[in-house]
Amino acid sequence: MSNLSRRMSSRKDVMSNCSRGLLAKSTLAATALLLLAPFGVVAQSSSGSSKSSSTSSSSDRWLHVRVISSDAKGETVRVNVPLELAEKVLPTINKDRIHGGKVKIDNAHVNDVDLRALVEAIRTAKDGEFVTVQSNDSDVRVAKQNNHLIVHVLDKQNSKRSEVEVKVPMKVIDALFSAGKDELDLVAALHALSAQGDTELVSVKDHENTVRVWLDSKNVTD
Amino acid sequence: MMLLAKAALGLGGTLVLAGAYTMREGVIRVDVDEYRSGGSHVHMWVPAAAVSMAMHFVPSKHMRRASEQAREALPVLHAIIKELRKYPDADLVEVVDDDQHVHVRTHGGKLQIDVDAPDEKVHVLCPLSALDDVTSQLEERSPAA
Repeated sequence: MSNLSRRMSSRKDVMSNCSRGLLAKSTLAATALLLLAPFGVVAQSSSGSSKSSSTSSSSDRWLHVRVISSDAKGETVRVNVPLELAEKVLPTINKDRIHGGKVKIDNAHVNDVDLRALVEAIRTAKDGEFVTVQSNDSDVRVAKQNNHLIVHVLDKQNSKRSEVEVKVPMKVIDALFSAGKDELDLVAALHALSAQGDTELVSVKDHENTVRVWLDSKNVTD
Repeated sequence: MMLLAKAALGLGGTLVLAGAYTMREGVIRVDVDEYRSGGSHVHMWVPAAAVSMAMHFVPSKHMRRASEQAREALPVLHAIIKELRKYPDADLVEVVDDDQHVHVRTHGGKLQIDVDAPDEKVHVLCPLSALDDVTSQLEERSPAA
């Protein structure tokens, strides 16, 4: 009986030593694992973020500017700005003529033309061509078409033809002039612009540059 | 052995918690290489959370001076960063010509600026949340606040 109990006790000691060692080793392994875990988490989060697609919703409107120069350096500039960002940032700029998302215009800068009356006249007028100038040097056309004000200038001088086309929705022009006298409401104009569908606003082509400004829902330039 | 294991577990646990807390906002990376004589080579890797934490220990007179100098730009910066956080993956500006490439974009909630030119390479990667923290703290400590 005493032999049996002695044998059992020694087996217990062996097991105890064995399990203690195992426990210590597993604790060390767990510690090492814990120490390495943050790096894994960082690696996972970075790879996860790289895989994640843009969370900007399809309703976001983006203003794109692209300038392609065909000179020797072949410069290309692409700027993509979310309209909402511009709307929120503009009111925070208070510098020179820009205050609270509005820009001040002096009479001197518009040569005594009553811009507000001019805009009102265009707004109430029916679609049609307002100005058409055709000469050897240039062609100019100002028209209202499908609630858009269109300005088209073709410069034919010096065999280096350049073509400018500006197409602005009337609602944007209305919003621009919705502020008080002698100021333009840029934020209101941007807000009106964001309600428009995909549209090309400015296009300039000459012998060495192509400039395009347009609006769509993509957050990258095509 | 057992005592060592317990100590290791305690130390490891503390390090993990500290590491996870420090890394929760990602890291700020700055790499600048100027390829000219005497040009600087800066390679910096800082946990973003450490920057906003460290700002709490900057003497208030220095913080006031910094926010005073950045007073005009702070509201604009704050508005831009706040809005950019809504666009975690977007190409904002890209300029390419035959030997230079400038790229400003948001990627995975970080602002990424890359300049590759023949005479210098600059790569900056900074979590937008960290930039937001820094501008908020500067605004809070400005004399007008």
